[in-house]
Amino acid sequence: MQQLELSQIQGFLVRDNKGWPFAKYFFLKITDANRARDFIKKTTQKITPVSSEVEEKFLNIGFTSLGLRALGLSEKNLQTFSREFREGMVTPHRQRLLGDQDSNDPQNWKWGGPLNEAIHLLIMIFEKDEETLNDRTQQIRTEWEQFGLNEILFLDAPSFPEGREHFGFRESISQPVIIGSGATGIKNDHIEPGEFIMGYKNEYGVYPDSPMLKEFQGNADLLLADAAGTENKDLGRNGTYFVLRQLKEDVDGFWNLLNEKSKNEDGSLNVEESTKIAAKMMGRWPGGAPLVKFPDKDPGGSSDDNDFNYIETDKLGMKCPFGSHIRRTNPRDNFEETGPSKSLKLTRKHRIMRRVRSYGENFTASATDHTPKEEVGILFGCFVADISRQFEFIQYTWANYPKFKQLYSDPDPFIGVRENPPDGIEQQFTIPQETANKYVTGLKNFVTVKGGAYFFFPSVNVVEYLSTIS
Amino acid sequence: MINQNPLTLLTPVRVDRFEKLNEILEKFKVGLNHNLNEKFNQLGTLHYARWFILQESSFRDKTAFTVPVRLVFSSNFDGDEEEHAKGLVTVFPEYFDELYECCEGYPESEKRNTESRKNYLMKWRVPTTAFYPGAPGRSLKQIKQEDELKNFICNFIKQNNWNGAPAVEIQRNIRNEVDKHPEFEWSKKRVPTSKIKWPAMIITGIVLIILSPIIVVWLLILHFFHERRDKNSVVKRSDLNDNLVRRLEAYEDLFNQNQFTQVLVVKPGKIRLITLHAFMIFTRVLVRNLFVRGKLMGIPTIHFARWVLIDHNKHMMFFSNYDGSWQQYLGDFIDKSGWGLTAIFSNTMVFPKTRFLLTGGAYDEEHFLAWSRGTQVLTQVWYSAYHHLSIKNIINNTLIRNELRRNLSEKQAQIFLKRL
Repeated sequence: MQQLELSQIQGFLVRDNKGWPFAKYFFLKITDANRARDFIKKTTQKITPVSSEVEEKFLNIGFTSLGLRALGLSEKNLQTFSREFREGMVTPHRQRLLGDQDSNDPQNWKWGGPLNEAIHLLIMIFEKDEETLNDRTQQIRTEWEQFGLNEILFLDAPSFPEGREHFGFRESISQPVIIGSGATGIKNDHIEPGEFIMGYKNEYGVYPDSPMLKEFQGNADLLLADAAGTENKDLGRNGTYFVLRQLKEDVDGFWNLLNEKSKNEDGSLNVEESTKIAAKMMGRWPGGAPLVKFPDKDPGGSSDDNDFNYIETDKLGMKCPFGSHIRRTNPRDNFEETGPSKSLKLTRKHRIMRRVRSYGENFTASATDHTPKEEVGILFGCFVADISRQFEFIQYTWANYPKFKQLYSDPDPFIGVRENPPDGIEQQFTIPQETANKYVTGLKNFVTVKGGAYFFFPSVNVVEYLSTIS
Repeated sequence: MINQNPLTLLTPVRVDRFEKLNEILEKFKVGLNHNLNEKFNQLGTLHYARWFILQESSFRDKTAFTVPVRLVFSSNFDGDEEEHAKGLVTVFPEYFDELYECCEGYPESEKRNTESRKNYLMKWRVPTTAFYPGAPGRSLKQIKQEDELKNFICNFIKQNNWNGAPAVEIQRNIRNEVDKHPEFEWSKKRVPTSKIKWPAMIITGIVLIILSPIIVVWLLILHFFHERRDKNSVVKRSDLNDNLVRRLEAYEDLFNQNQFTQVLVVKPGKIRLITLHAFMIFTRVLVRNLFVRGKLMGIPTIHFARWVLIDHNKHMMFFSNYDGSWQQYLGDFIDKSGWGLTAIFSNTMVFPKTRFLLTGGAYDEEHFLAWSRGTQVLTQVWYSAYHHLSIKNIINNTLIRNELRRNLSEKQAQIFLKRL
């Protein structure tokens, strides 16, 4: 087992903070590099690492590539970061991969898009009560104002009521467990640290592409050597990348469509059938119970049951359809047509550490109650060491790509449907049956991207190092 | 069953027409999104085609000798090579004239006719070293017909309520419905599908066992006298030239299919060349006998792949047409066939470090991905006859066609219905 330097790794990577219902995400812009570095220096003391939960440490901090440049990191050093991070979420090719077109077009975003103000820093604060959160906000806000940073925008990021996102489904049940981090979970979810933290070996048994100090700058004594054995000092070690996307959920549209598709012959609402189709699309019942174990009926209550596979219990997808959200984005032992043990191995190479929070009205929809008064959605976040092989792969190859497994024109019914599919293509969701399959046709796009960016979450020491560059 | 074949042409470019040629290729690329596509479609036998300019700077590593600037054309088509070339210049002679006027020795305008154009093209043909078709035996016509049949059946299924009906009865209903439509008359004839040729595989196994002492000695020589002295690729993706990668990505993921073109310099020396040829022979044997059901070494997303040794075996080109994204495609290679890939490509210059030919190399994920991107070249014009079909769809559609006509048991009929 690789020994993790837990006092260096930012806490949110390992702790899901579900028990901290109040949170704020702040986007900041640097106006004066010198003063910003002083702010960073002061802030280093306040970063919560994985290993401690002391009073005076209460925030996590991330940098965009624009932010690192604004802070003074040289081009040569910046160049060693992964291209996905350097280019950011908005490039023509990446938009195609991520499905950021039509209504999702970054031109329409509230933040992170080409028409929005540049984001340099992300500061996240999580608290158990609102009062403390406000106090903390007050304190830190005074500081960044003092050091000449502009607050571009903040997002309230509460946890979900009953742990359910707004479509009505229990959230963040399946999570990878970083080996050596102290977290627990089922065996299949135990993943090598290099999938999430740079400077450690990944599931291929090699070190992920980590940014290095190619040109002398700042106090390099704060940096550790490249774990892979080169002469370079490692900027990435104990750091990770964070993907953040604000996704609006059209819960009214979603349930109206399903209610329409499932209505009784006399036109009346069939709540049971509508909920069942929604569950088929998700792969779990709203309360979280997996369809593989409860194919016909919701056992009721809340469930975090994550101990299941597909091959033995549901090889043909008759319980949990191949096109369902959870089967696509984590195929477990049923990766393509590969055998179960190899499948599990392959799946482990495409996992993300999900960190999802709510935004908008405190509202949980169902087939009978699905009209919130205000906009609702999620702040989708995930930590990865390789943005391309993990986040972008899942979003494109498993969610957006309509030919997943043997399917023909089935995108992920939640996050993969295109607003304007190519001519002649009807997007559908296939529900395998004993005889003739059932199809939900005319799928619509019910999730709209409102903002997004890629961040680098350095180790505590590297944050301090960044305050020394000039 | 029809034979699908590859054609590769390497035509020297006139120095004074290099810029012009680039402009024409650019025009073609844009045109393919408009009416030019229709022209290609008219051929009715062309699955994929591509053009790009190959020159010294296309190679990441130093070439064995100074290479001339050449226009590369590559296609995958049904039937006879001569007929194919003839078809190309018959359907749109003006396009070929425009392009190949930029190349050396193209017939003067008064001497141009179908025959002289075809002869010119065929003069520059280079032999294929190894070739993999994902759906062997299926003509373009068959692929399109079976796609239509599948869509027809799916619509029929969706329009009816099948509550409680046994699968065999539904299958019968579908068959009756299809039979009402004369345009599906062709579907009454079952088509043979490729099967794994076990006797050939057993013979291959025996040959390998007999040769094993030689192979072991060979691997030892290779390891101690070559691999240990090799210069290896330690470049990571972040080290790559951004502009190069961006140029490649600009034409990726426009559809659910993509293409890959790679040009490489073969390592010097007889040992490497013999190893490469041996693996090419092995690949040909496996492709013909084992990889006949839509998977190349377990990879289920490749429509066609081709290796072409050129310049007296000093350089190599690799072409493929595949489903999904670059990351998925290369990831599949590492995960499912890293050893095969390593055995072939480690005989080319500056590959990630290998051990005994089959290990290391492609399994060194980060360096391998960077090597793949670094040796890829821009495909300037790319045509696909069926962007909307994955290779799995194509294979599945043939099964649907055949099973529709069979007398299936209830269980088999259930499987048949799940294909839809």
